[in-house]
Amino acid sequence: MELRLAIALSPHERIDRLGLLLSAAGLAALVWLPFVVFKSNRIMPGEPRELQQVLPAWGALGLQTVLLLTAVVALFITDARRRLSAALAGVIVLALALAAAANALTPAGDKVVRVAPGAAFWVLLIALGLLATDAITRMRPGPVVRVLLLATCIGIAWAALAAGMFDHLSVMREYAVNSGRFPLELWRHVWLAGGSLLAAVVLGLPLGILCHRVPRLRPPVLGTLNLIQTIPAIALFGILMAPLGALAARVPAASALGIRGIGAAPAVVALFLYSLLPIVANTVVGLRRVSQAAVDAAMGMGMTPRQVLSRVELPLALPVILTGIRVVLVQNIGMVTIAALIGGGGLGTFVFQGIGQTAIDLVLLGAVPIVVLAFSAAVLLDALIEVLDRTPSVAPQLDP
Amino acid sequence: MSKIVRSLCVAVLLAFAAASPLEAAVVVSSKLSSESAMLGQMIRLLLRAQGIPVVDRTRIGATPVVRQALLAGEIDLYVEYTGNAGLFFNDAADPAWKDLERGYELGARLDYAANRIVWLTPASASNAWALAVRSDVAQAYQLRTMSDFGRWVAGGGHVMLICSAEFANAGTLRSLERTYGFTLRSSQLIVLAGGETAATIGAAAAGTNGANTAMVYGTDGGIAAAHLQILEDDRHDQPVYAPVPVIRESVLRQYPQIAAIVKPLMESFDREGLQRLNARVQIDGESDEAVAVEYLRTKGWLK
Repeated sequence: MELRLAIALSPHERIDRLGLLLSAAGLAALVWLPFVVFKSNRIMPGEPRELQQVLPAWGALGLQTVLLLTAVVALFITDARRRLSAALAGVIVLALALAAAANALTPAGDKVVRVAPGAAFWVLLIALGLLATDAITRMRPGPVVRVLLLATCIGIAWAALAAGMFDHLSVMREYAVNSGRFPLELWRHVWLAGGSLLAAVVLGLPLGILCHRVPRLRPPVLGTLNLIQTIPAIALFGILMAPLGALAARVPAASALGIRGIGAAPAVVALFLYSLLPIVANTVVGLRRVSQAAVDAAMGMGMTPRQVLSRVELPLALPVILTGIRVVLVQNIGMVTIAALIGGGGLGTFVFQGIGQTAIDLVLLGAVPIVVLAFSAAVLLDALIEVLDRTPSVAPQLDP
Repeated sequence: MSKIVRSLCVAVLLAFAAASPLEAAVVVSSKLSSESAMLGQMIRLLLRAQGIPVVDRTRIGATPVVRQALLAGEIDLYVEYTGNAGLFFNDAADPAWKDLERGYELGARLDYAANRIVWLTPASASNAWALAVRSDVAQAYQLRTMSDFGRWVAGGGHVMLICSAEFANAGTLRSLERTYGFTLRSSQLIVLAGGETAATIGAAAAGTNGANTAMVYGTDGGIAAAHLQILEDDRHDQPVYAPVPVIRESVLRQYPQIAAIVKPLMESFDREGLQRLNARVQIDGESDEAVAVEYLRTKGWLK
């Protein structure tokens, strides 16, 4: 009781705790960490550059002022909309400062020096991102608004990149060199992640329904899928290369279908195997969640078992099944990266080439789009699940 | 029902078969490393310029993946390194690998007998592990060869070597020490767990923790740019890893001209030449394909 009183009376009561943490981190980063890193060439260790060294005095002051105002809002203002606006203003000014710094540090026409974001930039970006995420959560926007917000953010970032604002930044230098391959690898990445998901849904859904109907099957099926899940991805890719290669060599039709020991086939098969567990398990759980009363009522209305499944059980279980699909999609987008090691292509090609050349910028060219893809997939599917969960499932109708 | 399914399957199969190239195109591949990819691109471009149909499957994986793909017939041609045959045939101890000519002949013979894989002309450059010292140190103490280095270190030279754990522990360093008569104390070593040569070169160039000697690969692009000087392995302690295009015999029989097309290309390389080309990919960040195209144009092999 005394403790609670002390907290209530504390003068810090009106200071936002998250705001305090983020402001402190941002301030520390601005004071002690380099804003950008300058490299005399692609693989040399970077030399730190302070804000004041790379921006004109008014620019540095402007950035500091806007960030300070954002910190004030984060500390004292509770209105979520204002907090979001402040965070977004901070992000925009930060991005402008980075672009200006990259332009200032790159001699005209030079193609060898590299300017990369420094630690201060990343800390500030993360702090502002958390502030924005927190504000959005407090605003409790509906699913449609969330998707629109995401689309707007990606749209603005894309427009800035397309307009050449960041062309002097190290990651964009790597993009310029690989601009021909980038769209192909991006598309391949999406295709590998999505294709294996689709295959897993096509097989996993019936398997889940079967497991629900025949409880005896559940332990062996789920046990096997669990076991597969524990095999490290790179090992599974390796294990699959030999049998698929042998299959391609013996069965010409398989080879004609594109099934080979290296390339997309082992990647898709491995991802498909990993995808099965979340989908089968969530289908079983989702179907079990359907109340017996609803099933009994449907049967009382004279529905056949097939109608009960398609009109009552599956629609009611759909949000849980979709949650499984969401897990799989996000997991696949990350895991496809390793496909590059067995000739599967995708954005992982840039990651592993970059690691091989110790060119961090090239690693980022692969890694950043992967993160954006996974995040977008999560937001999209979350929104879809929420929409479906809210809509009351369609009342069962008898066939006309 | 089953009839529909069957005809659907046939339709899908036909569609895939039509989509995949049926003419016997040569599948040119490469490892992930920038040098392999660049050489792969050069060969692919040369073959295409000579009217041979090619498929680009470069940068597909590390050595075991590419090797397995070649043996399985999924790729037809890629650039291997002569010394690696010692690993493929479990015979790394044979002294032949330490000589370009003999290593090439031994590898070519073994690979042809076991797998019907033909080794084409090798380049006269070795991508073997080597030591490189800072140019200022090399000049001050007249270091040109590993023998010079051994004498310098044994005579109390102030050395700080930065290398990978693999280099320090798997016997490479021990072998160099034995051949050139020097011993490095652990206080003269900086061992990086997953050390890539780009990291060791960068550290030696910047003098991080006093490093003045770096583990490098012979044809590394970063050596000259970082003002390092490679030390000649004058007593041939290390296996030679000369780039050599390897091709499946059945494909070579179909396009016998490939051997003659690739020969002048491979003969045009020496260590400094490959270093310069690698530097453009590794240091300047140009794409391997762009460097390949420009090299072939300067040589007049590509219009």
